[in-house]
Amino acid sequence: MSSVIETVGLEKSFGKVRALDGLDLSVAPGEVHGFLGPNGAGKTTTIRVLLGLLRGDAGQARLFGGDPWEDAVSLHRRIAYVPGDVELWPNLTGGETIDLLGRLRGTLNASRRDTLIDRFDLDPTRKGRTYSKGNRQKVALISALASDAELLLLDEPTAGLDPLMEAVFQEVIREMKAEGRTVLLSSHILAQVEVLADRISIIRLGKVVESGTLRDLRHLTRTTFTVETAQPADGIAQMPGVFNFEPTDGQVRFDVDGEHIDVVVRELSALGVQAITSRPPTLEQLLLRHYGDEIGAPGEERAEVAR
Amino acid sequence: MTTATTSASATGRGTLAGTGTLVRLMLRRDRVKLPAWILGISVFWLYYTRLVPQAYPTPEDLESIVSMMTAGSGSIWTGPTYFLENMTYETFIPGAYGGYQFLIIALMSILLVIRHTRVEEQTGRAELVRASVVGRHAPLTAALITALFANVIVAVLVALMMIADPVFGTAGSLLFAAGCLVTGLAFAGLASVFVQITEYSRTATSLAAGAGLGGAFMIRAFGDLGGDHGTTLSWFSPLAWPQQAAPFVLDRWWPLALSLGFAAVTAALGYVLSSRRDVGAGLVAARAGRARATRWLGTPIGLAWRLERKAILWWAIGMGLLGMGMGAFSNAAVPGEMPEALEQVLGGTENILAGYLSYMGVFIATIVAVYAVLAVQGVRAEETVGRGEPVLATAVSRWSWLGSNLVVGAIGVAITMAAAGAGVGLGAAAAMGDNSLVWEVTLAHLNHVPAVLVVLGFAGLLFGLVPKATSAAWALVGYGFLVGTFGGLMSLPDAAIKASPFEHAARMPIESFELAPVAAVGAVALALAVAGLVGFRRRGINVT
Repeated sequence: MSSVIETVGLEKSFGKVRALDGLDLSVAPGEVHGFLGPNGAGKTTTIRVLLGLLRGDAGQARLFGGDPWEDAVSLHRRIAYVPGDVELWPNLTGGETIDLLGRLRGTLNASRRDTLIDRFDLDPTRKGRTYSKGNRQKVALISALASDAELLLLDEPTAGLDPLMEAVFQEVIREMKAEGRTVLLSSHILAQVEVLADRISIIRLGKVVESGTLRDLRHLTRTTFTVETAQPADGIAQMPGVFNFEPTDGQVRFDVDGEHIDVVVRELSALGVQAITSRPPTLEQLLLRHYGDEIGAPGEERAEVAR
Repeated sequence: MTTATTSASATGRGTLAGTGTLVRLMLRRDRVKLPAWILGISVFWLYYTRLVPQAYPTPEDLESIVSMMTAGSGSIWTGPTYFLENMTYETFIPGAYGGYQFLIIALMSILLVIRHTRVEEQTGRAELVRASVVGRHAPLTAALITALFANVIVAVLVALMMIADPVFGTAGSLLFAAGCLVTGLAFAGLASVFVQITEYSRTATSLAAGAGLGGAFMIRAFGDLGGDHGTTLSWFSPLAWPQQAAPFVLDRWWPLALSLGFAAVTAALGYVLSSRRDVGAGLVAARAGRARATRWLGTPIGLAWRLERKAILWWAIGMGLLGMGMGAFSNAAVPGEMPEALEQVLGGTENILAGYLSYMGVFIATIVAVYAVLAVQGVRAEETVGRGEPVLATAVSRWSWLGSNLVVGAIGVAITMAAAGAGVGLGAAAAMGDNSLVWEVTLAHLNHVPAVLVVLGFAGLLFGLVPKATSAAWALVGYGFLVGTFGGLMSLPDAAIKASPFEHAARMPIESFELAPVAAVGAVALALAVAGLVGFRRRGINVT
C-alpha cells in the first residue's frame, strides 16, 4: 500500500529564511511516525504545508496520494489536526469547541467524545478564555481523537500536559494505532516519541537527516551512566561501545551505545554497584554528536520566522 | 491572606510597596496610547473652541444654531442650558460641547484603569508582578496615580488652550479645566470598583463603560430633559456635576467637590473589595456554559454568526439610540432657522426636513461602515491569533470560511442600518407627529446598505490580497465621511465625490428610490468581495 504522507524535495522559504530545504518524508499507513527535531527545524512548516495552509515553493507533497493544496477540503475529511499552540474562542466553552471542530471536520464520534472528556478530566462547561494552556491543548486533542479521521497530525501535542495526562495520551494513541490509524507525532523530545513511534524521522534545518525504525536508530541512542562502585570501575573504559569515560570524585561517568548496554551493566554489577543513574540522550546531544550542530542559535532564529 | 493583612498594616507601606515602579511601568507601556488619547482629547476641544466662532460668525448665526441644538430633546445631548441666559461664544461652547469632552475623558480614565488592573490579572501578568516585592494595593494605586497624571495633563492643556483664546475668561477656563480633571478621577474611581466584580476584562469594560458611563449619561440626559438647568434627577449623575458648575455663567466650584467625593468613595470601595478577593478572581464567580454545542454551531456560517452576533446586537442598539436622538432634532429643521452652512450640507432650503433626514442616511451609513471594517479586522485577528488555522484544517474551504464571515458581516450591516433607520424614523415621527416618517426613513436608510457593503467588500479584498493592509479600509470610511459631510461645502470635483460609495444611492426621502445606482453599487461590493475570496484562496495562512 502506498504512503499516507509522501514528500519529495519539499522546499519552503519565508523571505530569506529557508524553512524547508528539500524535505523527504514518508509515512506508511497504520504507523505512528515520530517527527523529531529541535525548535525551528521546520516541523510546523511541514505540517502546515501538508494541511494546505501553506504552499511549498518546490518539490512534492502528497497526502493519501492527493495534492494537499488543491484537494484540501476532501483530504481534510480524513485528517484530524492538533496545533502546537492551541487558541480557543474566548466565549465558546470547551465542549462547544470540541463539537464545532468535529462537525466542521465531518466526523465526531459522540460516545468517544464523552469518554475522552472523562479520561482527560476536562470540564467542558468552561469558557475558552478561562482554560490554562494544558486545558486548551486537551480541548484540541479530544476533538481530534474523537474523530474517525484516518490520519492524525499532532504538533507537539503534549507540551502543556502533566505526566498523568501524558500517560492517558499515550494510551489513547496506542488504541488509535490498534484501530489501524496513522499518526504523525511531532516533538522535540526524543523520549516522548520513543515510547510511541514505530518509525522516526529526524529533521534538522529543514531536511530529514535520519529516518527509520527505532532499531535502525539504535546507534543514535547512546545512554549516559553515572555509577558509584565498591571496586574501581576503570576496566569499563576499555569495553566495546563505551565512550567519554571520565572518573569524577569517587564516581564514573560514561556513555554506552544502545546495543552494548546489557554487557556493560553485567560487568558493572560484578563491581558492586552502590548508586547508579542512567539518562537517555537528548535530541540536542544526538544532533551535536552526529552533525556538530551548534545548539540553539540558528534553530531559534528560524523558529520565529516559521510561526 | 490573614498574615499578609497583619504584616501589611503593621508596616503601613507594605500594601503599597512597589507603587512607584509600577507607575513607571504603566507610563512606559502606555507611552503611545496615553499621549494619543490626550492629544485626541485636546485637538477635539481645540476644534470646537476655534470652529464655532468661525462657522457661526454673527450673533444671529449663533442664535439659530442654539435654537436648533436646544429644540425638542436637544438637552439630551448638550446638558443643562445655562448659556441661554447670556448667549456668547464663551458661555455657549463649554455649555453645548463640554458634555462630549467630559464623556471622552471619562472613557479614557475607565479604559486606563481596566487596562492596568483587570487585564493584567486576566492575562496572568499581575501574578508575576505581585510575586515580587509589590504590595497588595500597589497595582490599583499605581493605576489611579497614572489616571490622575493623565487627567492633570488633559486639564492643564484644556486650561492653557482656553486662556490663550481671547474668547474665554481665565476664571471660567480654570473651572472648566478643573471639571475635566475631577470627572476623569470620578470615573477612574468607578472603574476601580467594576474591575473587582468580574474575572474578565471584557465584562469589566462593558459594565464600566455601559452600565457606569452609559448609565450616568442616561440619568443626566433624562434629568436635563425636565428643565433648562436640569432637575434633581440630573444631580445623581457624575456627568452632571462639571456641567452644573456652569463655567462662565455661575462659575460655582462646589459641584466639583461632589466629583472629588465620588472619586474618593468609589476608589475606597475598590480597595475594600479588592482585599476581599484573590488575585485573578472576581467577586462574582465565572458562570459555566454549555457542555455541548447546539446544532446551529456546526457550520462555518454558524460559527461566524456565533462570534459576531453580540457585536451586531450592540451595534444595532447603539445605532438605534443614536438614530432616535438624531431624529428627534427633526423639528429644528425649519427653513431660515438654521445657519446657512448647515442648510447647504442638508441640500438647500426648499425641503429642509426631507433634506435633513436624507443626510442622516448618509451620515449613519458612514458610521455603520466602521462596523464593516471592524468585522473584517475581526476575521484577520482570527487568522493571526491562530483560531482560523484549526478551522481551515477541517473540511472547510477557504472560500466558505471567508465567505461565511463576509455574509455575516453583510447581515450585520443590514440589521444595523435597519435599526438606525428605524431609530431616526421613530425620533422624527415623534418630533413631527407624523407616523408615516418611520417607514419612509427606514427605507431611506436601507437604500444605503449597498454602499456600506462596498466598504465591507473593500476590506475583504485587502484581507484576501494584502492581509497586513486590511486596516487601510479605514481610509475609505474616512473619505466617505469627509465627502458626505463637507463635500457640498468644499465644491469638490464630481469625480472626487463619486469616488465615495455613499454618494450614488438616491437621497431618499428628498429624491425617490432608483434601482440602477443601488444595483451598480451592490455589484461593485460583490465584485470586491469575490476578488478578495479568490485572492484568499491563493495565499498562505498566517505567513509572517
